[in-house]
Amino acid sequence: MNFDLPAVNLPYAITQWAGFFLGFLIVVGIVSLLTSLSVYGTRGVAALAGGVVQGIIDLFSLSPRRLSALASLTFKEAVRRKALLVFVVFAVLFMFAGWFLTGGVETQKDFQAKVYISFALRTMTWLLLPLILLLSCWGIPEDIRQRSLHTVVTKPARRLEVVLGRMIGFGMIGTLILAVMGAVGYIWIIRQVPASEQHQLICRDPLFGKLEFLDREGGKGLGVNVGDRLDFRSFIEGATKARAIWTIENVNESILHSNNCFQLESRFEAFRTHKGDFKRTTYFQYTLANPDNPAINVPLSLIKIDEFRNNANFVTVGPTIQLADAEGKPLSNAAPPAEANKDFFKDLVSKDGKIQVQVACIDPGQYVGMSRVDFFFRKPDKPFAVGYAKSLIGIESLLLLVVFLGVAASTFVKGPVATFLTACIILVGMFGQGFMDELIKAPEIGGFTGGGVFESVYRIVTHMNPTTELPAGPAFFIMQWVDYLLKLYLWSVRYYIPNCEHFMRMPEFVANGFDVLWAESLLPAMLVTLGFFIPCVFIGYFSLQSRELESK
Amino acid sequence: MSQPGAAAESVIDIRNLTKVYRDFWGRKKVRAVNALTLDVKKGEVFGLLGPNGSGKTTTLKMLLGLLFPTEGEITILGKSASDVSKNERIGYLPEESYLYRFLNAEETLDFYGRLFNMSAAKRRERTEMLLDLVKISHARKRQLKEYSKGMTRRIGLAQALINDPDLVLLDEPTSGLDPLGNRDMKDLILDLKKQGKTVLMCSHLLGDVQDVCDRIAILYGGELKVLGRVDELLRSQDSTQILSSKLSDGAIKEIEAVLKKHGASMQKVDHPTANLEDLFLKTVQESRERPGRRFTVDDQPKSPPAKV
Repeated sequence: MNFDLPAVNLPYAITQWAGFFLGFLIVVGIVSLLTSLSVYGTRGVAALAGGVVQGIIDLFSLSPRRLSALASLTFKEAVRRKALLVFVVFAVLFMFAGWFLTGGVETQKDFQAKVYISFALRTMTWLLLPLILLLSCWGIPEDIRQRSLHTVVTKPARRLEVVLGRMIGFGMIGTLILAVMGAVGYIWIIRQVPASEQHQLICRDPLFGKLEFLDREGGKGLGVNVGDRLDFRSFIEGATKARAIWTIENVNESILHSNNCFQLESRFEAFRTHKGDFKRTTYFQYTLANPDNPAINVPLSLIKIDEFRNNANFVTVGPTIQLADAEGKPLSNAAPPAEANKDFFKDLVSKDGKIQVQVACIDPGQYVGMSRVDFFFRKPDKPFAVGYAKSLIGIESLLLLVVFLGVAASTFVKGPVATFLTACIILVGMFGQGFMDELIKAPEIGGFTGGGVFESVYRIVTHMNPTTELPAGPAFFIMQWVDYLLKLYLWSVRYYIPNCEHFMRMPEFVANGFDVLWAESLLPAMLVTLGFFIPCVFIGYFSLQSRELESK
Repeated sequence: MSQPGAAAESVIDIRNLTKVYRDFWGRKKVRAVNALTLDVKKGEVFGLLGPNGSGKTTTLKMLLGLLFPTEGEITILGKSASDVSKNERIGYLPEESYLYRFLNAEETLDFYGRLFNMSAAKRRERTEMLLDLVKISHARKRQLKEYSKGMTRRIGLAQALINDPDLVLLDEPTSGLDPLGNRDMKDLILDLKKQGKTVLMCSHLLGDVQDVCDRIAILYGGELKVLGRVDELLRSQDSTQILSSKLSDGAIKEIEAVLKKHGASMQKVDHPTANLEDLFLKTVQESRERPGRRFTVDDQPKSPPAKV
């Protein structure tokens, strides 16, 4: 799973959502018009217009009292139908989980907290997801089957209120169960992690930057690919002009810890070749520089890095920094103190709050690898509970998304089909996004070569190399156009499927001792849920409104 | 209290109503209601009769907006059947009491009261009143899944009346009720009529309809076959019935002679019998007043009623 996440661009996200929603409305409008015309003839236009007007009236006639009645009915229904039995399963799992989790990790204490946190958060997610899925997908169909909905819609309750009331009610159930599970899980984690390892329960607040590379000649480059299977890292060659340069924004006094120092944290990877001094351990060096004037810079002491190790490095630096020579040795003895020391905020941070951190590999013939998120300024840690609570909000967002989709689906298909449909959407959103991205990506930016479905079949049948140009001709032209249209369709489908990777990532942040990043993870997840709320209500309302509840 | 009559305001106005059920592919499957036209006047008890499958429940559901007409128009309380706001003044008792079985009686009435946007105080007041009215106050805390069929009908009726409606639609209101409940239901319908409310009921229990309805419509095959006042439809213009205190055999012969003199014949002379419902209610009433009394041979009628 990719943790190098871009921050959400809110105006762009809203514009994109509005565009897709408009497209959806146009498609729904055309389909509804054609259906109305086929069923009611010319009266269909009036019927459709009447339905839209009724929808607007219903929107402005929403009654909080009716909504609360329907929501509390849903809540009571779930409680009295023993939905809370999930607590029993949860309790049993937690009672005995310690037996199975402790033994395997005793020798790897570094990972103990991670295992417990992952287990607790994943258990909550995967116990609650099926429960909420079933509840939300079966509520309205059962109401229709048992005809209890007849006694509701023959009251002044709007069908919009029925849909919203159900969504609120199931949301309440999910929230309640998650809150209790979250509290129990938190206590369980705190008690389960040994006192000696409690320091692992942290919530690091990183300040990441933008990464660029210089090649061995000092020109702009992409870094070296050393053939590592984890190809998300690029490498810089030692004792050359190759550099990895982070430009970090919003650097201010919030990065200072209680001791008035700031911390640099990195997890780089060493790659050693036989060309260099194989006996010598690889070293790298940070150089802090002012982006406005890179001549003002401060090289810091050399840092050792091993191959095949977890090279977590923590450097604590005071606000007044000593200059170092090329070997990383302090210059304070050799030069006057006024020139040897630099004030971090005054000298190195630009006026717009940016700083450059350059990383160089010291040893010739050796390499140091890094990706954007391998280095960050570590702001003062937050309490573990903060990150944990954020990941619970992430799970809550996922549950609400399932509720919205499930209730919407249940207004036009029966319970089993609604369950299957919703589960498919969620699972594809969780595990299929990357695959869909690959399919729709243009070959020029790393997508598949060899064309779309029909072109690929043609190439397979005729044993044609994917990189060979297709012959010219109308048949090939049509084939490529059909492929293009299919790709366009897939592209739109990809954006109509919720990106559930956001939800799955949050527990990983917490398990790895990080805060859940707001703009990169939590906000996008909440926006996904919010973005599907209005379309789901729209679908649910109009499906229920246009449906005969007593059709034979 | 407004009296039904030709000049009375129409509460329900159905014009040329047709409902065709279609299959998945849109092909016509069955014509459940065909060109039905009728109206229900304010303040009357109207019975919609017909055998199973005659279209009466379909008609009722189109009135409520649960089904959409294929053709025709419905005006109910001056509004279209698809207008949800009409439901403010309607009470509906479905054929089966399709209530939420996990709620108890109090919660049920409170829930439906909230759907009418009633305040908490008003809901409490109506709940108390209706639980007493339908005689299930003693079971107010029991979940509906524990109720007998009769009790379920009673709470169903209570929910239909939660908003003190102007128009009450009852689908088979007496089905599943014992004779006591049946009588209570009919009394209640008559009571609603006294309060000036309009009642439309669907039933195939003709005795019940005859007891309470002012006007009836008989449907068959989705079409209207009979429409009119019950007393007018049932009155026989070819015979006359005289009810007197007990007569001797001689007196009967004299009356027969008088009838012959006027060119008429005596068709039937007997002692009137109470109907079975009356007998049952009388027996239950006596049993309550004199517990422990049992049937004996002496209680049997001495001789069969005289027949001529």
